[in-house]
Amino acid sequence: MTDSSTWGWLTSIDNWKNSYSQTGISTQIGNHVEYSLIAVVIAAAIALPLGLLIGHTGRLRWLVGVANGLRALPTIGLLILFYVLLAPHFHGRGNAVFLIPTEIVLILLAVPPILANTFAGVQNVDPAARDAASGMGMTGTQVLFRVELPNALPLIFSGVRSATLQVIATATVAAYVGLGGLGRFVYDGLASHDFPQVTGGAILVAVLALLADIVLSLLQRYAVSRGVSGRFSSRAGTGGPAAAEITQLEVVTH
Amino acid sequence: MKLKLITAVVGIAALVAPLTACGSTSNGGGGGGGGTESVASKLILGGPPEFKTRVDGVPGLAKTYDVTFASFKSLDAGGPLTINALKNGQIDAGDIFTTDPSIKANNFVVLADPKNLYTAQNVLPLINKAKATSGVTTVLNAISAKLTTDDLIAMNEQVITEKKDPKAVAAAWLTTAGLDAKGSQAAGATLTVGSANFQENVVLAEIYAQGLQDQGANISTKLNIGSRETYIPGLEDGSIDLIPEYSGVLLQYFDKAATAETSDDVFAALQKAVPAKLTVLTQSQAQDKDAIVVTAATAAKYHLTSIADLANKN
Repeated sequence: MTDSSTWGWLTSIDNWKNSYSQTGISTQIGNHVEYSLIAVVIAAAIALPLGLLIGHTGRLRWLVGVANGLRALPTIGLLILFYVLLAPHFHGRGNAVFLIPTEIVLILLAVPPILANTFAGVQNVDPAARDAASGMGMTGTQVLFRVELPNALPLIFSGVRSATLQVIATATVAAYVGLGGLGRFVYDGLASHDFPQVTGGAILVAVLALLADIVLSLLQRYAVSRGVSGRFSSRAGTGGPAAAEITQLEVVTH
Repeated sequence: MKLKLITAVVGIAALVAPLTACGSTSNGGGGGGGGTESVASKLILGGPPEFKTRVDGVPGLAKTYDVTFASFKSLDAGGPLTINALKNGQIDAGDIFTTDPSIKANNFVVLADPKNLYTAQNVLPLINKAKATSGVTTVLNAISAKLTTDDLIAMNEQVITEKKDPKAVAAAWLTTAGLDAKGSQAAGATLTVGSANFQENVVLAEIYAQGLQDQGANISTKLNIGSRETYIPGLEDGSIDLIPEYSGVLLQYFDKAATAETSDDVFAALQKAVPAKLTVLTQSQAQDKDAIVVTAATAAKYHLTSIADLANKN
């Protein structure tokens, strides 16, 4: 309480602990991650299979356009709308009536980038690789999972990463309907004219988004085949373009 | 390679770890000695975010009434979130304005405030001194003499719930109050009537405007101006001359250190606090102020009629 700057707010131990009047920063980071993770996981569960299917079959392409159009809907407006629609169906204690509308709007934000990138990733697979796989006698499903998916991974990852960034930034709206998360500090700070709290909360959201992106980029490094990413360990004996060709081949034949 | 993989896994684990940790601690506060718990310690309070720190919010309830709720939920200022949450039981008590039509519509019970935690908020005209001629003052005083809190509730119901035109609602009130007779008490006066950007204030401004017009004044209106920070400078520079105000918040606006609580004390302090160019006319008994509101079921279960009852041991 002594230092009234943003740095002072961020570094005060009391602000990180839970008390009667305030849920601490550590708990709110946990809540924020929880809301974001739920949204991204559900969005991925919807958009990944759908994107693969649309990319593989070439049907239902309009769905990608429709999903992209959904991004234009105003998040806060949708949030209140869903809350007012759902409220009469929930009685008694519990956060479900606040959590469900929040997750719906976050999922609506996360689906389009994942869907569009998955679709584009599969679409852009070299037709020669696809033909070769079929020519070797692979079934449609085998082509999808052994050729198209591995080759589409870099684009899929970039879709998931941009969805994650957007969800973490937007999960601040959870606080608008009385939930926790880092948005709590932004809304409470604004309401009580406590601006260090507002900026402190906003900085934490940005840091969290960056950390999540770093984690996903690490994951991407290990998930994407070297043949696709073109990254090679300097310790590998042979190295160079020759290895690239071998790995590329492996992608196709495995 | 393996080392990097481990770093990646640890990184993800670090991100997910708080998730599992937070699950158990989401309900802060509450608890206390067995057998001697107060009614409030079993209930959840909801209100606007600033209520958590406001002098008359959570800290005020504890200080004035020794009432400490199990937890506080940040929602909105008497809006759809708070009202729906109270109606459906996500919260047990809410901070709602006394003139909100949803109180009557949902049979909510407004808890009495015997210790005046919530400062009096009587409706009164704030006017440019130069424009407050005796004729104008007579007309506005006659309006204030008739206006009641029940009138505000009824008019809010018509404009908010039934979406009626504030102009028509104001005209109907003037007729019922017997103030619609044409006259010349305010003849020769020229005023611009303003209002804040919420329905109740718009209706009140319409009542002032039409009441003065009926008595021969030359009136123009600038409604839905915005918040106090916007329209008070407007009053001071003469771009508007008259606006309906609420005594308690207005006093707080002019004098941050004000401590008056009752209607009379607030009005007396306000008369001294207004800037030299402005003045407040006689206040009405109509009030629009914060109140702690519970559902009829909760009130019956714990025998609640006043905020003080929340501190009872149960």
